[in-house]
Amino acid sequence: MDSPAIALRDLTRRFGTFTAVDHINLNVAPGQFFGFLGPNGAGKSTTIKMLTGLLAPTSGSIEILGIDFAAHPLDVKRQIGVVPESLALFGRLTASEYLRFVGRMYGLDRDITNRRTEELLDFMNLANEPKKLVTDFSHGMQKKLALAAAVIHGPKVLFLDEPFEGVDAIAAGALKTMLQRMIDRGATIFLTSHVLEIVERLCSHVAIIHQGRIVANGSLDELRAGIALAGDNANEKLTLEEIFLRVIGGSAESSQEALQELSWLA
Amino acid sequence: MAGVNSSLTADDSVLPSHAGPFSPIARQQYAALIWLQSRIFLNGIRTMRGSFELGARILTGFLFFVIAVGPAFGLGFAAWAGVTNGSPLAVAIPLWVLCGVWQVFSALVPALAGQNPDLAHLLRFPVSFSSWILLFLIYGVCTPSTLIGLFWAIGIGIGVTVARPDLFLSTAVTLALLVFFNILLSRTILAWVERWMAQRRTREIFTGIILILALVAQSFNPAFHNYGRRVHGQAAHQGAPKIPAAVWTVQAALPPGLATAALVQPMRHQGSGTLPLVGLGLYIIAIAGLLVLRLRAESRGENLSEAPRTSSPSAHKVRRAPFLDFSGPIAAVFEKDLLYLLRSGPMLYALAAPLVMVFLFGGAMRSGSFGHLRAQYALPLALVWAFLGLTRLVTNNLGGDGQGLYLYFLSPTPLRSVILGKNALHLMLFLLEAVLITGLVIFRFGLPAPSVAGATLAWILFAVPANFAIGNLLSILMPYRMNMSRMRKEPGALGNGLLSTLTQVAVLGIAVLVYLPCAAFDHPWLATPILLALAAVSTFAYLRILANVDRLLQSKQESLLLELARTA
Repeated sequence: MDSPAIALRDLTRRFGTFTAVDHINLNVAPGQFFGFLGPNGAGKSTTIKMLTGLLAPTSGSIEILGIDFAAHPLDVKRQIGVVPESLALFGRLTASEYLRFVGRMYGLDRDITNRRTEELLDFMNLANEPKKLVTDFSHGMQKKLALAAAVIHGPKVLFLDEPFEGVDAIAAGALKTMLQRMIDRGATIFLTSHVLEIVERLCSHVAIIHQGRIVANGSLDELRAGIALAGDNANEKLTLEEIFLRVIGGSAESSQEALQELSWLA
Repeated sequence: MAGVNSSLTADDSVLPSHAGPFSPIARQQYAALIWLQSRIFLNGIRTMRGSFELGARILTGFLFFVIAVGPAFGLGFAAWAGVTNGSPLAVAIPLWVLCGVWQVFSALVPALAGQNPDLAHLLRFPVSFSSWILLFLIYGVCTPSTLIGLFWAIGIGIGVTVARPDLFLSTAVTLALLVFFNILLSRTILAWVERWMAQRRTREIFTGIILILALVAQSFNPAFHNYGRRVHGQAAHQGAPKIPAAVWTVQAALPPGLATAALVQPMRHQGSGTLPLVGLGLYIIAIAGLLVLRLRAESRGENLSEAPRTSSPSAHKVRRAPFLDFSGPIAAVFEKDLLYLLRSGPMLYALAAPLVMVFLFGGAMRSGSFGHLRAQYALPLALVWAFLGLTRLVTNNLGGDGQGLYLYFLSPTPLRSVILGKNALHLMLFLLEAVLITGLVIFRFGLPAPSVAGATLAWILFAVPANFAIGNLLSILMPYRMNMSRMRKEPGALGNGLLSTLTQVAVLGIAVLVYLPCAAFDHPWLATPILLALAAVSTFAYLRILANVDRLLQSKQESLLLELARTA
């Protein structure tokens, strides 16, 4: 068996007395499209920040492609691409200037950067407004640009934090095609999203984090089997949303009950 | 869902949003803003940095108080003398000084521009336009230049009233109108300059106009200087200076002249002074109209993008030549920051302001007693000023990157390279300013003495690495978010600004402490090798800090991202 593309060992992060991520152990195999799910405040963003070097763990280790992140952060960063929640864009550059800048920050040759920039802008449908500053882009366009920047150096592992939020259906289709092509060529993708239908359609494996701990991990079939073993719905083909709600313990009914409390909206 | 809608529209707790600036909802909004400001203040001082910021604010407040009170006495005395002697000119001069200094300094000296919040964030709330204008003006009152102007106006008012207590009411009304006019004018200038600086084409036109005005002022400077000497000579013979009739007529039609007439007419029993006050009122209405025009566009959410609204789909195929034909992260950061700078009107303005000041006030340095001495040291003094324009960039070199800061931490580029790229750009800008200023000073004052030139060069070699070393530390330890498209100081800027000013004072003080004893003992050339030795020390310190920048930035990563790259 190949060594994992992403390996977390007892990964922990505390903020004062609050433990946001609590001794997580996780392996993601090379070439997997991996979904990382959890309710708000579960520790998703903290985990992805630690995986991309934006936040130092309190304890535990991270290995990406077999390289220890703490010992060799720059070697790891050369191999990964990231679309962070904040998008990491420079608002007062044009899309083309931004991609050229990112390419050079990753050490790409100027000619290669220029060629890939044009190809990515065409692919992402961002080439029509060459003089428009990034700050004037719509949110969806900014997302596409952030994704283009994340892949310009051909990363082997891609971390995507809510990549489809605010992206129109046509662009989302193009993005999915591109991501699938990267998977076909052996890249590993680590995705967080609240849109569970997209995760279900794209990801082969899923982990669910709740209150800082991994509460479910495996392929969709393995997760369904786990719930069946627990006793209910043995014959039912559960969707990812249903699996998620059962694992986390929430339900649509509880939301309705909460709405009743908001008297002026009832 | 229908139930939800009807429930919301029928809700009596929602106040109507279309009312005026003193309606119940407006008052509630002001109360909310006051509460917000107080919470921000109280939450801010919980941290060590916030406490330091408060200390810096108290200290700078005291400095501004001193700046305000001293001249207030002088202007008050001048006004008292003018009224006592019945001289319209002696009344006009304090009023012109008040208006001139108020406007010039609020526009050209960033420290006096104040620390105002961006009111654009209020646009998402149902804040009426009239409330918005009122808030814009109230925040304008809270700037140091306005407070200094108010003190000066009070000084003038006291001077006039002591001389003629019966003129108290007309003086109070006149000065109140003049103060209001100045507040409006400075806010209008700020709003329009910000608008012009936001787009490249208007920025270029504006820069051209400023340069032409500076050249015109410079060409007038010798003429005024000669005229001043002539008047001074006449005054020695005739007892009082005289102003040409044309100049006097023109100034009489302008706001300080109208205010002078409003004070002098009742003083000389030539009228009630109502007509000049009406004229002053018309100026206020005109300026207010310009301000409303600007703010209305802003309140409607105008887009100040650099880009044209339409562009041809094939335009992206035409690629511009790169600024610099070398690759690598250092050059990438250099090029990116240069693009940012060229697109930031306020930053260009801050860089150009010292040049304009040297250009405008260069003549004043040459005249008067000790003029030759001041001319001899004009070069080092002007170069110190040149560095002032760069201070914000040097001591807060990550502040303008916003969410782009994440990229530095995500990319495999050592953070040292990022800082080095920024330092390289700032060095180039300083050298450019230094060359321009040296040219100007030589043009105005002639070549400096070789010992002064040598010591100045050695001082630059000491001052540049010293400033960059401390600037890099401040950028990491005391950063603040900079809005590159707005001409206002940001929260957190005061503490950083105070420390950077102290750095400038220390760097200049060391040079003075080295040079003056050498000059006093008739060995001014000795200052050069001593300053070169200090330059070696400051260069070593700079390199040491640069070598540790990665470690420092990593240790401060979370707080930097929180402070500079936050979205709300």
